[in-house]
Amino acid sequence: MIGFIILAVLALGFALAVVVAKHPVHSALALVGHVVVLAVFYLLLKAEFLAAAQVIVYAGAIMILFLFVVTLLTAGKEDQDARESLPAQRGIAAFLAILGGALLAGTAVRVAGTPAAGRAPTGYGGLLDMGRLLWGPDFPYLALVALMLLTAALGVIVLNRPEPAGAPVKEGR
Amino acid sequence: MILSIVILIVKIVLLIGILMGGFAYTMLLERRMLGFFQLRLGPNRVGPAGLLQPMADGIKMMYKEDLMPAAADPWVFRLAPVVALTAALSVDAVIPFGAPIHLLGLTISLDIANPSVGLLYAFAFSSLGVYGIVLGGWASQNKYSLLGAVRSSAQLISYELAMGLSVMGVLVMAGTANLEKIVQWQGTHHLWLFIPQIVPFLIFFITAMAETNRTPFDLPEAESELVAGYHTEYSGIRFAMYYIAEYVNMITASGLAVTLFFGGWLGFPFLPPIIWFLLKVGAFLMVFIWVRATLPRFRYDHLMNFGWKVLLPIAFVYFLGTAAFATGVL
Repeated sequence: MIGFIILAVLALGFALAVVVAKHPVHSALALVGHVVVLAVFYLLLKAEFLAAAQVIVYAGAIMILFLFVVTLLTAGKEDQDARESLPAQRGIAAFLAILGGALLAGTAVRVAGTPAAGRAPTGYGGLLDMGRLLWGPDFPYLALVALMLLTAALGVIVLNRPEPAGAPVKEGR
Repeated sequence: MILSIVILIVKIVLLIGILMGGFAYTMLLERRMLGFFQLRLGPNRVGPAGLLQPMADGIKMMYKEDLMPAAADPWVFRLAPVVALTAALSVDAVIPFGAPIHLLGLTISLDIANPSVGLLYAFAFSSLGVYGIVLGGWASQNKYSLLGAVRSSAQLISYELAMGLSVMGVLVMAGTANLEKIVQWQGTHHLWLFIPQIVPFLIFFITAMAETNRTPFDLPEAESELVAGYHTEYSGIRFAMYYIAEYVNMITASGLAVTLFFGGWLGFPFLPPIIWFLLKVGAFLMVFIWVRATLPRFRYDHLMNFGWKVLLPIAFVYFLGTAAFATGVL
């Protein structure tokens, strides 16, 4: 319980820092911190594979790409408050955040006190168990996700295809 | 309960001590070996045969001025080397340095943590190490540092895939991701996994070299193009942290290679297991140094082509073959 509270405070702090930080690199860093804290949460819940996968995929790959782009784009620029193009976005965002939070809190209050349905089977959340799920009953979802990622990769290749030799050079590429 | 916590703390302190000592003398070994490779002597003035050189270096590093560029982001600038060193040290927590020992009726395993997915933990922590480089390069607000950081992130992402695929075969054959059990599997089957997995082992070793930013993959700090890349602006103790992180990463990569492919602590019984482990790691470190002394740096496009068009497909095909054999399809 103490561990949960410490982690929850940390996770909330990092999540807030993502939104509040002035500089995009600081936001990205806070997001990395959040991802790592989430991984520790999974560890507490005995989901060792999920914790490792979370760090490898999100902190190790996706956030590195984020930072890659952000560091390149913000290099040598001074911090300045850009004018917001959507005038009401802060208000709308706050409203949506409060709505989402209220829904979550409502669900939590409603479910609190109900015991979980039995104990998790041994090995639950481990490597073997995840593998059996992903390649067994959940295989269609895995295949669909793979298809989606393949589409994205193909799209990138098509967009970056070099012009055939002799073709007129287009402006603005 | 208290006893196990005490044992844990002792193990952690010992591990950090071993890694720091390992760093100091790997560095000395590298400098002396590089000297011999280049037909000179290397540092041999401090103490007998230069053995006290690391101490002199350490004292020098501590007392050097700690500079920070005026335009730097102070928080991130200070955080980055700490991240690099922490990530480097954490990976070793899951590597078993020897067979479990029995002491006063207790069984003590020679690793700090032994999670069921130990291998994935090693990968998770080593993938965090790149933050030290990327953040350090960005926070310096120096174009050479930034170029080094960008190169480093691109290189790490490209080579991590091939690295992950190269150890999949080991997982499939041993049937577990627990590093201790992988070593035990190699013991009971009397088969060190580099024999059936020689191609993945070579890919693992090449990608490990890339992940530790060693020559010929030292593009992030290429001194002839980028001054010193991501750590151009670092000096004193913060520079030392980056330096330690690089060498600890080297030791870690060697330790992982030994554990996965060369039977970890296994060996003939006339030496204790931990000595066997350290000997094998030392042999790998020698190869690291040898390669550095021999090969020139990759060109950037060659590096990317090699990673994506050579290493990745070979690792993938070999893994598919291993999986087919292991499951009895072939």
